[in-house]
Amino acid sequence: MEALLGGFAVTLSLGNLFYCFVGVLLGTVVGILPGLGPLTTIAILLPITFKMDVTSAIIMLSGIYYGVAYGGTVTSVLMRIPGEASSVVTCLDGYEMARKGRAGAALGIAGIGSFIAGTAGVIGISFLSPPLAKLVLAFGPAEYAMLMLAGLTMVTYMSSGSLARALLMAAFGLLLGTVGSDPINMTQRLTFGVLALGDGVSLVPLAIGLFGLSEVLFMARQSADEMKILQPPSGLLGFLPSREEARRSVGPIARGTVMGFLVGLLPGGGAVLASFLSYGMERKLSKHPEEFGKGAVEGVAGPESANNAGTAGAFVPLLCMGIPANAITALLLGAFIIHGVTPGPTILERQPEIFWGVVASMYIGNVMLLILNLPMVGLFVRILEIPRAYLAPLILVVCLIGVYSSSGSGVDVLIAVIFGFVGYWLRRYGFDLGIVILAFVLGPIFERSVRQALAISDGDPSIFLHSYLSTGFAIVAAALLIAGLWPKRLGRAS
Amino acid sequence: MSRLAGTRIATFGLLAAALVGLWQSLRLDRWSFDGPSAGFFPQLVAVVCVVLALIVLIAPGQGSATGEADDEGGGEDAGKSAETTRTFAIYSATFVVLSLGAMFTGFVVTAFAVSILIVHFAERRSWLAAIACGAVCAIVGLVCFGWLLRVELPETAIERAFYALVR
Repeated sequence: MEALLGGFAVTLSLGNLFYCFVGVLLGTVVGILPGLGPLTTIAILLPITFKMDVTSAIIMLSGIYYGVAYGGTVTSVLMRIPGEASSVVTCLDGYEMARKGRAGAALGIAGIGSFIAGTAGVIGISFLSPPLAKLVLAFGPAEYAMLMLAGLTMVTYMSSGSLARALLMAAFGLLLGTVGSDPINMTQRLTFGVLALGDGVSLVPLAIGLFGLSEVLFMARQSADEMKILQPPSGLLGFLPSREEARRSVGPIARGTVMGFLVGLLPGGGAVLASFLSYGMERKLSKHPEEFGKGAVEGVAGPESANNAGTAGAFVPLLCMGIPANAITALLLGAFIIHGVTPGPTILERQPEIFWGVVASMYIGNVMLLILNLPMVGLFVRILEIPRAYLAPLILVVCLIGVYSSSGSGVDVLIAVIFGFVGYWLRRYGFDLGIVILAFVLGPIFERSVRQALAISDGDPSIFLHSYLSTGFAIVAAALLIAGLWPKRLGRAS
Repeated sequence: MSRLAGTRIATFGLLAAALVGLWQSLRLDRWSFDGPSAGFFPQLVAVVCVVLALIVLIAPGQGSATGEADDEGGGEDAGKSAETTRTFAIYSATFVVLSLGAMFTGFVVTAFAVSILIVHFAERRSWLAAIACGAVCAIVGLVCFGWLLRVELPETAIERAFYALVR
């Protein structure tokens, strides 16, 4: 508790409050804009944080991540267009509620549920992280290597496409991560004699290329037809749900919060999976399953709580183990590393002000989001009126600033452009790029652990099965691979 | 182009990248006196990548939910499809301008070039709108990022003159 209070002292400084506000505001805006996701935004803004203090930088970037889940709801409810992947499922019942004149209630329930789940998720981080960090301290290189292998396998298993494609993306990410200096003895690898590749492919041009620039190419293919926007209520009272709606939302919010947080802890989990699972669970538990898809308030309350709790849950493996649960937390891990901080079990002892500062900022950020999202929803909806013609050049210019400022090199801009085309082509034909980023960030840590373990055992690979922990992780990885090859998965994917 | 053909082209590209990676990594030592050496991991990963790419080539499987439907031809009418292709081509050309601009012409000129290409040529808006958009992009970049946030931007005489005025 004392440490958490110390975190509040860090967050409540004027500068950090400002960055927290900027983060959640940007997150809300990005969530509202269909197509422009948190991954793109964090990738673009990552280099801009280089000159900031590490705590402020992570507070701002985290604010974008959890703010997106709030903003994405607005377009789902008012336009039936998910601003962000984790709000897809809200389209089903949220829009139907809006069509029945209950847009305010849908947004209100979503906002309140998101606030409760987000805050409960942060409480979960506060209490779960210290014991988990102590456990992880007992890990040796073999355990770490197997944990990362299990994590990567789980992420590929959770991917919506075929397992082979997802594994190919993971291998491609790992291969990209090997370009440049060897992490142990600094030998140059896969550089083709190009000096600019001596330090490897940087995270910033890779991420901005794969997500930011490829997104602009996707925008070019979208129809610029008029979109129909239902109007939100003008006053605060319009957001209040009726007594019956409030009563029906209590259970889904509670279940969504718990389930979302637990799903968020899993590699490959996070907000998107949590929202879909919550929707399925609520429909199964409901006394009126026939109302789902026609404006059932449970279909909004459950998933909206779950996606916020899932976002919070994903911070636990990142902060305590240094292992990102998804592509967005992989970028946050990249941000930590760029700032010279290695998240993991020792962060609580060595840099508690960073850990608890970030955790405390989430409490405050959730309050800011509640205040921002209900009264100002009408204002945010106007952002959707910005035409593509003016939005695209602005995104490109910000991408240029982001890439160039990370290294001061035009070569990195060229690399980002190349990855922009590659990312567009791969995404267009159903390859999951999030896995590439995750594997790319994990690659050097994974390689170091594997090589250290093999060096300790004098090349004997059975070291990976010597302890119960590493054997357990290896079994999880093998089981997921086998489960991924199971024919039922083909049906699920289709 | 059909979805299957597009997938195969993408996979061929990945296979080629993996083979090049394997070829390069085979030049490195796999093992040294103190354990696995610099070539160990890249060789392992490149082999896995090649095998997986071959599997995907043989059995492409279902794509991820992030992939968009191939909308060329099909239900779209020919005029709209041609317009989309044209817009897409100009947006792609903008990328080339972006990378060349970062190396040779500096931030302001690049921002104007990108805006004019997209706003006027790709989206068929007026010259005035294109120039205004370019000016907004250039000012936002120079003032907010270059001056206030002290972010490094591609510099030529124009940017240096601006900084000399304000700093």
